[in-house]
Amino acid sequence: MSQRYKAANAKDLILRELDEMSLIFHKTSGITHVVADPIPAILEVMEATSMTAAKVVDKLAKNFELEDALDIENFVLARLDEMCSLGLVELEAG
Amino acid sequence: MSGMLETRLQVGPARFRVASAWSQPFEQLQFLYRDYPQPDGDFVDFTVRLEPEKIWRKYFRPAVHIGGDFWLPDAAPLSLDQGLLAAEMGMNLQMALGWRRHLLLHASTVERDGKALLMTGLSGSGKSTLSAMLGEKGWRFMGDEFALLSPETGQIHSFPRLISLKNQTIKAMQDVVPSGRFGPLLEGTPKGDIQHIVPAKEAIDAMDKPAKPALLLFPRFGYDKAIREMGKSEIFVRLTQASTNYVALGEAGFNTLTNFVDKVPARAIDYQSGEEAQELIDQLWNEFA
Repeated sequence: MSQRYKAANAKDLILRELDEMSLIFHKTSGITHVVADPIPAILEVMEATSMTAAKVVDKLAKNFELEDALDIENFVLARLDEMCSLGLVELEAG
Repeated sequence: MSGMLETRLQVGPARFRVASAWSQPFEQLQFLYRDYPQPDGDFVDFTVRLEPEKIWRKYFRPAVHIGGDFWLPDAAPLSLDQGLLAAEMGMNLQMALGWRRHLLLHASTVERDGKALLMTGLSGSGKSTLSAMLGEKGWRFMGDEFALLSPETGQIHSFPRLISLKNQTIKAMQDVVPSGRFGPLLEGTPKGDIQHIVPAKEAIDAMDKPAKPALLLFPRFGYDKAIREMGKSEIFVRLTQASTNYVALGEAGFNTLTNFVDKVPARAIDYQSGEEAQELIDQLWNEFA
């Protein structure tokens, strides 16, 4: 849980909301991602700083209403791992 | 290209040089493209070559290999009787693989009052037949294969190549299009029986006039008459699948397509006959365009 993640630089991403899904165009890879909530929200709160999943949850809680019933930290961790595989987030070494 | 017959022609903004080792497809092309303008000057965008795979195949069981600036290594050669189809496939291939000035959508387009109706869907959806039919009923035919969406203006540019009719739609169009606009019947092609028709002269004369996209339809033939709403993300994904150069255009392609999806109303329609499709199109055009 102490792993730190860093989001892709915001100037390399174009975000467009469509309906329940959003699009993210990643300029450096040229890939278009079709994503659902909370991926855009996670990118928004991460900005350019590296942080742990717990810190992402803290920042999300300030901006959004989170469901108490959900194991939110593990949920965010799973999304961060998915975002890593898409190239939208990097796992910080060490 | 010594020893080959050569013609140049312009379809919408694209200029082609077509060279053929045989006179038959060359003469058919010259006949069917007789009303199309010649490109100004010597410059062309693409070259298509119809040539024998091996020199002796020019005369013995002639087989037409499609060559050109862009080509697919595993494309099977066609018989000489289908040389016209080879030329058309060759020109489509150049556009699909090489065109970068517009976002290419695999869609048919017709225009009325400066506004464009686009129809996209899988092979067999009827988009080509519907555009050909509307082109004979007061709409301007802008193309049955590619809609060219401008990244600069968001307008649709015309690409009114020959209309490719397949199987049972050939008979239906024979009732509404004068016989002088038909090419030869090509039987037993990889896509079944095919016959090309020349678009109406007004469509060719106006092929440099773009139109503002006003309605996008996803027609589906063979189902009970219906209109269905679609989510924007579904529309976006289907259009990326219907575009041959979305990935190649990068950021410009993304911005062009998202603006299009944002602004242009879209519906899926199901129909069982040309009359049903016409009713649905009229209804939706009155509502949105």
